[in-house]
Amino acid sequence: MDTPRDDQLAAELRALRPTPRPEFVAELDERAAAGFPRRSPLPRAWFDRLQTIQPRKLLIPAGGIALVAIALATTVVAIDEGGGGSGADAPRALIQKTDSSRAPAPEIAEPSGADTAKPSPQYEGATGGVEGSSASSAGAAASAPMSKSFDGNGSYAEGSTRLHNRAVERSAELVLGAAPADVADDSAEVFEAVHAHDGIVLRSSTREGEAGVASARFELLIPSAKLGDALAALSSIDEVRSRHEATDDITAPTVATGELLQDSKARIDSLLAQLEAAETESEREAVEAELAQERRHRARLRAQLQQLERRADYSRVLVRIETGAAEESSGGAWGVGDALDDAGQILAVAAAVAVVALAILGPIALIALLAWLTHRAWVRRERRRVLS
Amino acid sequence: MDSDSGRSTGMEQTLIAEAKDAPRAGDIAFERLYRSSRDDVYAYVASLLRDGPAAEEVTAAAFERAYRKRNRFDPERGEPRAWLFGIARNAALDELRRRGRQAELTAEPADLESFGSTESAEHQERRLAVSAALERLEPNERELVALKFFASLANAEIAQVLGLTESNAGTKLHRAMTKLREACDGHA
Repeated sequence: MDTPRDDQLAAELRALRPTPRPEFVAELDERAAAGFPRRSPLPRAWFDRLQTIQPRKLLIPAGGIALVAIALATTVVAIDEGGGGSGADAPRALIQKTDSSRAPAPEIAEPSGADTAKPSPQYEGATGGVEGSSASSAGAAASAPMSKSFDGNGSYAEGSTRLHNRAVERSAELVLGAAPADVADDSAEVFEAVHAHDGIVLRSSTREGEAGVASARFELLIPSAKLGDALAALSSIDEVRSRHEATDDITAPTVATGELLQDSKARIDSLLAQLEAAETESEREAVEAELAQERRHRARLRAQLQQLERRADYSRVLVRIETGAAEESSGGAWGVGDALDDAGQILAVAAAVAVVALAILGPIALIALLAWLTHRAWVRRERRRVLS
Repeated sequence: MDSDSGRSTGMEQTLIAEAKDAPRAGDIAFERLYRSSRDDVYAYVASLLRDGPAAEEVTAAAFERAYRKRNRFDPERGEPRAWLFGIARNAALDELRRRGRQAELTAEPADLESFGSTESAEHQERRLAVSAALERLEPNERELVALKFFASLANAEIAQVLGLTESNAGTKLHRAMTKLREACDGHA
């Protein structure tokens, strides 16, 4: 046989071309006419359907789904933050609380060893009964944490400001929003509330006029044991625009002053003994002068201690009744400004949710992309290997 | 060494233009592509798999896959026939991978009787020699020959299917044909 020419070789190759069976051709034609109906199970069919969509067209529904997810998350977060409150009033009724209690200092707990754990008669006598107990047991109480609970109605669930034998000074500031015509009535209710809780009105001023001018201001002393109830009563007078409470642990200066008082008493007793033993007039005069000075010192210490105890027993409360700009929004009319504020808050929350979502989905998407690229590269390599 | 196949040249651009205009036009265009390529695809796949029933399965799967992806075809990236043969090639190679290249073991021998009784003995002998020489080619060389003479693709389309430059595809094809001719000489 001769070597085939190019045209002969080409012709022979074409003659060797495999041809499909007529039955297969007929079946395939039928399926082509029917638009290649799926033979795959459902999940595969869905995957195939996804594959038919152009990637650019997939971006639109994917973006839509992402937006809906972000909107839903934003709504959930916003509802959660608002606590289901009624619209614009909820954020304005937020109560700001500050606790400036200091941690107990060790040097307060053991200033004079075992003596501090046992109240001395002098100290009790100097401070007068009940007050003396705060200092007498300070050593044992120094390590006890100050505990209190806010019951949600403005009341502290504690019976005394000497909680766990600690001296705690408390103060509060309450701003009420009122219509100009209501300022006088609200002021009267403030007085009633103060008296109902055995409080004292230190100063008060009331000003009548239009919105923004009409106002009232009260500086009150409320028994600390009744502060929670008093604040609840004051808050119920009108709309609460802001409320601020603070605590200050004054155990250390109270204990220190009590000890100084004790020392002073001992010094006076000693001087009295010296006075009795004095033999000459000049000696007696010198001791008396020293005794007078020590008694003045003791009087100052006693006054100081009483002031500290008063600070613990009575809480200073400042109540202001305001009218004006904030009053307009408090009248129930939800305006454009409120809407802009709320929109800003919602946008901020949405942005935060989007950032969190991105932080979560970003790495997952990156891992998925890397996995897909790796799989694709592996498949391509395997395909090349099949024919190599 | 370009071949003159039975397919209508220049038709693809028209088909794709129609495919971009409307979904219905796209269906018609795909049907035309199917009609013009059905037997070529089968021939190419059968030459890769060398297994009739498997070739039928893979051919059907390739057309189904192409039909599902028809909207993703980008005419700027190549000819529709090259795109279709790319899909068929991937399907066939996946099948070969799946079977662990069992096709090598189950290759169908050339059937002398199928060559026809009216042909001369010399003609039959030459065809047998060509068939045997084809079997001795490397798989990737055999694929090049199949794309050229069984699927009737132009060199540019072959290059597109295999991811080569056109000149590289032409060079490789020339080498394969030279090797095939030498194998025929050896058989003779």
